[in-house]
Amino acid sequence: MILLDAEVIPDWILFFGHFHPMLVHLPIGMLLMGMILYLFSQKEEAARQKSIAPILWSTGIVALISCAMGWCLSLAGEYDQDTLFLHQWLGISLALSSLALAYMAQFWSQDSLMSRFFKPLLSLAFILVMWTGHLGGNLTHGSEYLTSYLPQPWRGWLGIAPREQTKGEKGVQPIRINNLQEALIYQDLIQPTLKQKCWSCHNAEKQKGKLRMDSPAYIMKGGANGVILIAGNPSESDLIKRILLDPSHEDHMPPKGKINLTEDEIVLLQWWVKEGAHFNKKIADIPYDTRIKSILTKYTQGTNQQEVYISPVFKENIPAAAEADILKLRKHHLLVIAVSKEKSFLEVNAINSKHVGDKELQDLDGIKEQVVSLKMGGTKLTDEFLQQISKYPRIISLQINHTNISVQGLSYLSSLQHLETLNLVGTSIGDEGLAEIAKIPALRKIYLWQSKVTDQGIHLLQKKMPKLVIDQGWKGKWPLDTLQISTKKPE
Amino acid sequence: MDKIIQEAIQREAQLATRRHFLSSLGTGLGSLALGSFLTNCSSDAGTSFASPLAAKSSPKLGKAKSVIFLHMAGAPSQLELFDYKPSLAKFDGKECPPELLAGKKFAFIRGVPNLLGPKAHFEQRGQAGHWISDYLPHLASQADRVSFLKGMHTDQFNHAPAQLLMHTGSARLGRPSMGSWVSYGLGSENQNLPGFVVLASGGKNPDAGKSAWGSGFLPSIYQGVQCRSEGEPILFIQNPSGVNSDIRKASIETINQINQETYQEFGDPETVARIAQYEMAYKMQSSVPEVMDIKKEPAYIHEMYGTEPGKESFANNCLLARKLVEQGVRFVQLFDWGWDTHGTGLDGSVDYGLHQKCRQIDKASTALLLDLEQRGLLDETLVVWGGEFGRTPMQENREGKKLAYFGRDHHTEAFTMWLAGGGIKPGVSYGETDDLGYSTISGKTSVYDLQATILQCLGFNHEEFTYPFQGRNFRLTDVFGKVIDPILA
Repeated sequence: MILLDAEVIPDWILFFGHFHPMLVHLPIGMLLMGMILYLFSQKEEAARQKSIAPILWSTGIVALISCAMGWCLSLAGEYDQDTLFLHQWLGISLALSSLALAYMAQFWSQDSLMSRFFKPLLSLAFILVMWTGHLGGNLTHGSEYLTSYLPQPWRGWLGIAPREQTKGEKGVQPIRINNLQEALIYQDLIQPTLKQKCWSCHNAEKQKGKLRMDSPAYIMKGGANGVILIAGNPSESDLIKRILLDPSHEDHMPPKGKINLTEDEIVLLQWWVKEGAHFNKKIADIPYDTRIKSILTKYTQGTNQQEVYISPVFKENIPAAAEADILKLRKHHLLVIAVSKEKSFLEVNAINSKHVGDKELQDLDGIKEQVVSLKMGGTKLTDEFLQQISKYPRIISLQINHTNISVQGLSYLSSLQHLETLNLVGTSIGDEGLAEIAKIPALRKIYLWQSKVTDQGIHLLQKKMPKLVIDQGWKGKWPLDTLQISTKKPE
Repeated sequence: MDKIIQEAIQREAQLATRRHFLSSLGTGLGSLALGSFLTNCSSDAGTSFASPLAAKSSPKLGKAKSVIFLHMAGAPSQLELFDYKPSLAKFDGKECPPELLAGKKFAFIRGVPNLLGPKAHFEQRGQAGHWISDYLPHLASQADRVSFLKGMHTDQFNHAPAQLLMHTGSARLGRPSMGSWVSYGLGSENQNLPGFVVLASGGKNPDAGKSAWGSGFLPSIYQGVQCRSEGEPILFIQNPSGVNSDIRKASIETINQINQETYQEFGDPETVARIAQYEMAYKMQSSVPEVMDIKKEPAYIHEMYGTEPGKESFANNCLLARKLVEQGVRFVQLFDWGWDTHGTGLDGSVDYGLHQKCRQIDKASTALLLDLEQRGLLDETLVVWGGEFGRTPMQENREGKKLAYFGRDHHTEAFTMWLAGGGIKPGVSYGETDDLGYSTISGKTSVYDLQATILQCLGFNHEEFTYPFQGRNFRLTDVFGKVIDPILA
């Protein structure tokens, strides 16, 4: 890895290198097999040792070949240097240990003194196999790979942060500038963007294309294809060129499957490079036009990457509902369907079964953990049903339009912590019901067309919940009669 | 004798293709379809949702559950409706600069045409400040509900191929339409109605014909069902005289049983589609007349849409679209013919004919938005409005001669569409054209981008939503398309 640095690595080296992750399992398996045979052998010590000698010889030889291939692979330079160093030397030690073991088994098994060292060395080789293998896994998959799905109580014991924090949706945190006059162009604007969109592949642990982007020095140094940034010349800078390529292009950055830069971010990056790619200047000291200004305003107002609102419920991971429970509901011709294939949240729709009432709907209890949306418009349900679902933990949307519910029923809904949308169209709910609605904590939108509420009641509700969107429906008259407007025929 | 046996073997090999074999391995469609056979009458409801039209979940969380696509067939003039160009008015009657014409081809314009200033009066509407002309006063009152794509472009300047491109992702015949893709992906929530319904008004079907709602290589159960708003909604669906519903049911059961045996013999998935179609047709005998009957709608609804029951009109179709979506239909495709304003006649003039067309659709399309909203359906219904391309900033000079009326030729480089409802951020205007409205200078979006965005709203990644056919995976957007994020909520 030192010898060929900075030069272009011939394809055949990398070709062999890519066999390393495959071939390496062969000596691992052989060695373990040899150990098992040794451990369970009924023979005397000398015969025991001798019988596994061929296995140990093959282990050693194949391990050496694996080491050579591993070295080829390491030339690609995409790995964390510290881990690689350890992995490399442990691997070489392991190969040599295997050969030593083979030699001992073959020639020293009769020697009462030397044969005593066989067992300790074999144990050492076992430790080496485990350790080297683990490091190899870390190199390939990343050090968090093994523990990323570790269940919660064990995480705590091992001192690993809870999963949401380690694996959360990174890269979409909005970048915000508090003081435009004082903000630094690189530290406050460019680096956060690079961190979100580039660092995951170009960092200390992983260097795709031999490129690191986690410090100004590395950015200026460039990668396997040379410098990526020419200050003052965005159209010649690979950094900009690759971002601007068509997303389907092989060389486009970020690659397929990663989050792309937004249009604003691209414009800012181009501007930064064009104005000299400064790493320590203030934004205010760099000339900008109206376009940049309007983008910067978005950053100061925090509206640059307004996160799309999504109910916190959908961020949970919950077990799927039992098939039997769903089947029970389908017997009533209720449509039970996952809101998306990704997760187990369910929607229950009575579109094909307007005849259902409280009795049939009791079967919903079986999926109460999963149900997030209930479309029960026009069914025979009553307040009793609302009492039943008041204990469901994840209801987000509830359509009970054109049903016989009353104020009493609405009073149960205040315990639905996540209820955001409520459809009460065509119900007999009047102003007294609005007091109960005001108690629903997360409500965002309510439909009240053809109910008994008055404008005054709506006004009061809006005062209590200023952010609630209230729809009262069409007033029954168009503001203007367009057919009265004459159109003149041209001559 | 040997020859006969050999031929028999070869015949069977021809019938059971590798694809049939592989697809039957994966899904076992036949048994699924039989399970759903006339479930209304059977007691085993447990398997009733496994037919090809059973409601399915989207791969990702989608805001929209259904789509209403209002297609103004013939292509409305963006320069009279949404894309306000004061500079174009300034140069009205002047010759078009030659650099705009160099290397360009038009459907009818020849030589050097004159520029034609906007013939409508524009104002900024709502808080969003959208420019909407007085041709569409009702829509203007709801400007904050809709979002505009002003930088749309296409590569087809004739109606039929451009319409095909818009609806099937290819200017040539044979690809499944957007509605077919959607009903293939999401099925139909209503077990008695198809997933994809087509309604046409304006006296003519669109130039692209039935291929604009064809199922292409998808199973034919997913093709659009065209309903007429005048007379019987679907032809040949009612029982002939002397055949009562029991006889009809018994005969369909028998036919399907035979089809089932045929499927087991040959394994052709089209047989499954045919079984499902018979089944659906039987169910539609009662469900369709009910949903297609707008007479029972209250008077205020007729007032709202401007509908007249029994007539073929865009307004009636808008009301029907709302009813269908309310009943769980996934994709409703409306075509309204008569927007091809070349200026060859009074009806085809941008200063009169276009205004008349706008009057026919303005109230109804606005009412559709309001009616969906008050029922709580707009959150889950994506409404799309537009034509297959735009119209030129130049006055048409057909074959080099001056026409009697003001008209505009077909234009591919810039046109406007609007979207509203499920998944769309309201009040956005994305894309900008140059001062003459000739081409897009920022926020350029293609027909594929629009399709990708529609699929995105429904919870599909347009790149992953594929169907294997003739050895490759096909998608609606072919190898193109980029989701238009700025207009997404």
